Amino acid sequence: MQSAQIIWRNRRTMKLIRNTFVLAAGLIVMGVTGPHAAAAQDLEPAQLLHPSKDSWPTYHGDYSGRRHSSLTQIRPDNVQNLGLAWAFQTNQPADIKSSPLLVDGILYFTVPDNIWAVDARSGHEIWHFNHPTTEGEHIGHRGVAMYKGWLFFTTPDAHLISLNAKDGTVRWDKTIADVKKGYWSTMAPLVVRNHVIVGVGGDLDNLPGLLRSFDPDTGETQWQWFATPPAGTPHTTTGGMTWITGTYDPELNLIYWGTGNPTPVLNGDARPGDNEWTCSIVAINPDTGKLAWGFSASPHDTHDWDAVEVPVLVDGTFHGQPKKMLMQASRNGYFFVLDRTNGKSLLTAPYGPTNWASGIDKQGRPIPNPDKEPKPDGRFIAPDEGGLTNYRSPSFDPRTGLFIVDSHPSYSLYFTKPADGDYGWAGADYGLWGKGVLVAIDYQTGKIRWSHELGPGGSGAGVLTTDSGLTFSGDGEGNIIAFDTSNGKTLWHAGTGAGMQTSPITYELDGRQYVVSGSGGVLFAWVLPRSYAAHSSTTSTNAH
Amino acid sequence: MRLLLKLKMFPGTAVAAAAAGLLCGCVFLIPMRAVLAARAGQSASAAAPAVSAGAAVYDRDCSICHGKNREGIPSVIPPLTGLAHHMTDNQIAQLIHDGNKTMPPVPTVTKDELPALLAFLHTEPAAPAASEVPVTLDARRGLELSPEAAAGGALFQQNCAFCHGRDAMGGETGPDLTRSKLVLGDKDGSQIAKMVRQGKTDGNKKMPAFNFSAPEIAGLVAFIHARIEAANSMKGGRRGVDVSDLQTGNVELGKKYFNGAGGCAKCHSPTGDLAGIASRLEGLQLEERMLYPENAKSTVTVTLPSGKKISGTLAYRDEFTIGLKDSHGVYRSWTTDSVKYTIDSPVEAHVELFSRYTDDDIHNLMAYIQTLH
Repeated sequence: MQSAQIIWRNRRTMKLIRNTFVLAAGLIVMGVTGPHAAAAQDLEPAQLLHPSKDSWPTYHGDYSGRRHSSLTQIRPDNVQNLGLAWAFQTNQPADIKSSPLLVDGILYFTVPDNIWAVDARSGHEIWHFNHPTTEGEHIGHRGVAMYKGWLFFTTPDAHLISLNAKDGTVRWDKTIADVKKGYWSTMAPLVVRNHVIVGVGGDLDNLPGLLRSFDPDTGETQWQWFATPPAGTPHTTTGGMTWITGTYDPELNLIYWGTGNPTPVLNGDARPGDNEWTCSIVAINPDTGKLAWGFSASPHDTHDWDAVEVPVLVDGTFHGQPKKMLMQASRNGYFFVLDRTNGKSLLTAPYGPTNWASGIDKQGRPIPNPDKEPKPDGRFIAPDEGGLTNYRSPSFDPRTGLFIVDSHPSYSLYFTKPADGDYGWAGADYGLWGKGVLVAIDYQTGKIRWSHELGPGGSGAGVLTTDSGLTFSGDGEGNIIAFDTSNGKTLWHAGTGAGMQTSPITYELDGRQYVVSGSGGVLFAWVLPRSYAAHSSTTSTNAH
Repeated sequence: MRLLLKLKMFPGTAVAAAAAGLLCGCVFLIPMRAVLAARAGQSASAAAPAVSAGAAVYDRDCSICHGKNREGIPSVIPPLTGLAHHMTDNQIAQLIHDGNKTMPPVPTVTKDELPALLAFLHTEPAAPAASEVPVTLDARRGLELSPEAAAGGALFQQNCAFCHGRDAMGGETGPDLTRSKLVLGDKDGSQIAKMVRQGKTDGNKKMPAFNFSAPEIAGLVAFIHARIEAANSMKGGRRGVDVSDLQTGNVELGKKYFNGAGGCAKCHSPTGDLAGIASRLEGLQLEERMLYPENAKSTVTVTLPSGKKISGTLAYRDEFTIGLKDSHGVYRSWTTDSVKYTIDSPVEAHVELFSRYTDDDIHNLMAYIQTLH
């Protein structure tokens, strides 16, 4: 019943929906609210290279995936005064898990089957697209991508829909992968020049993960890349789903993507070897779809630890040498620093309790302990299947060199036996205990510089840092919290009534810095009082 | 005249509705009163074919959303088949008049048309609603499901399968529902319905709440029960964790660990709190409880600025607020910066063991605990 309300707005609309069924639903609903559409929504691909401070034009905010902003109006010494600018109610039960885009003063965000366009100044709805699908997983949705005046939206039944950003009308609808085989899609596409790059989910079945690049205008497929050989290839794995938006290095012209677990999931006997390129970080040419290199974060995974967590791109020094780095805090409990020109390991270190690897090999990959694979009588495993972190974004703060991630120390039991077979899940696992801890990792050493407890169960909130020295994230009880990036101390908080399932974003409009977070079905925009905004602008001008 | 037919078909429902109307008629809105008054006045009159008139009203005002055959749109618009099993006529009439947060009022249904519409809604559609349900993997895999379970199955695949598995036998994060204590003990579906509607927000094992209609939940319950039957018929090759799978440990070594390295005996006694534990729990449930008892209580003592101390059961705790239930069951809370507090949480001893366990320790301890009948 996620989306009945919008449909009910107009009974004539409903009749048309019934007649034309669901595909045209959003188009018609949008027709109702069309007159409110704003004047100019346009995003040239080149703007993604240097996002302006009044925009958040991609899932990660920029191509690097650092989720770090140069904005400094909200600071450690005034964040205590942060308050609510507005809250937007989706009025439906699905949790917001998406990261909004902000382009030309309009926020675009999603839950499965739904997109909202919301005025970033006032929080009022401009249009709402609803596209009820009856197939595929409705587990979550991460957001949209934008190219010129067009939005790109993935669906539970693994379609890519292009819409007019002005009014949410559908331009075209293409199939990414076959929902009947078990594919779905939840992810926000990545736009690189004239490529709309899209991934899929689908590890309830033995299927190869894939990336597909679409022409943003025609919707024609430009290339496909498969993470594994086709299903049924003897002695090989399937899997490697591609369900979190990758990052992009324009100089090297490579996109970086994390891939998910192999299938069958908990039974590794049917798929000997390292199972490349599942649970891996891969570098791919966005023009050709050709693999440049791959790094296996969890060789021969048997614990569902997708390595889809954001591959964060950082340019800096590593042990005194200038490096183009890629950093990932992976679900399997290890923090990786790679040289992103060639995929070679610079550092591998656990960032919380893990007990499944017997060591680190010469290539910097954890060595899976065969005795910690699931067994008929159970194996006691840290972390649990949700992992030491999951898909919500970490943040890299360049001023302190800290990689800050929401971690989930946890323990669980993993089982598999011959009767569980070799298809799909192929076993069972049970989480026993977990908690949330925000950890700040020194990327040069892998050591934890500070940590901040977030409560029993865990948080799952994403992380945002800003140049003023602030870190925004959430705890396990639904508080959004601002921390001092240098030491992890709490500076401000507000209860939001539900766990924060989003990664926060920030932007500046009309001289005011907004921080936007989502909890439950509500989007919140936080600002300083106008007097502070005026004061800090003056300060900022004087400083120049 | 229409009402006589109704009373013949569903005497219990109509009488109950009328009684409810008499008891609390004041809260009913005008059309509802009119319906009940019409019933009272006309119940002795001759019958007339209301169903076809009701069908016409349905086609005009309801079918645009709920579908020609009352099939709804899975997960978006509830089907209206079997509605009478879940709602009284009063409730249906009131919903049509008032709407709710997902359905608007339907003022075009007049008070004269309402009885016919209700009569129609008590009939079953000629074409089964299940024919509108997309072919599910269950159907493709040859599992035969009732129409209700098939409709529930379609909903399950979209909303539940990711965590609980396509076959409800466990998946990413979610437990095997065919072995779930809650599910197996839930004969009428009410426990499943409660869990689906309320979710589970506390502790490590969380589940989101879902806003499904009663017919949708009935479909889910039917599907889950069908999956239990299917799982139980997989004799020998039964998937999931069996009690027999958890018998690889050594009782003596487990007892030694209990009294020695594990430190269990510091808090627990085989003849005290654990006496008969293996008769109350078995298999995976016993092992999970052994490793971390999920709902163990903690106590908290709060010291107010005045020096006064208040103790109770820990009820809420985050970085900013501490809450307890005192001995009278009253909830009280304070901001953490205004008081001092200490928490006594014996269950934390289980967490301290996590980093020290070997798998053999766990299997041996399990072997020993299973002797405590």
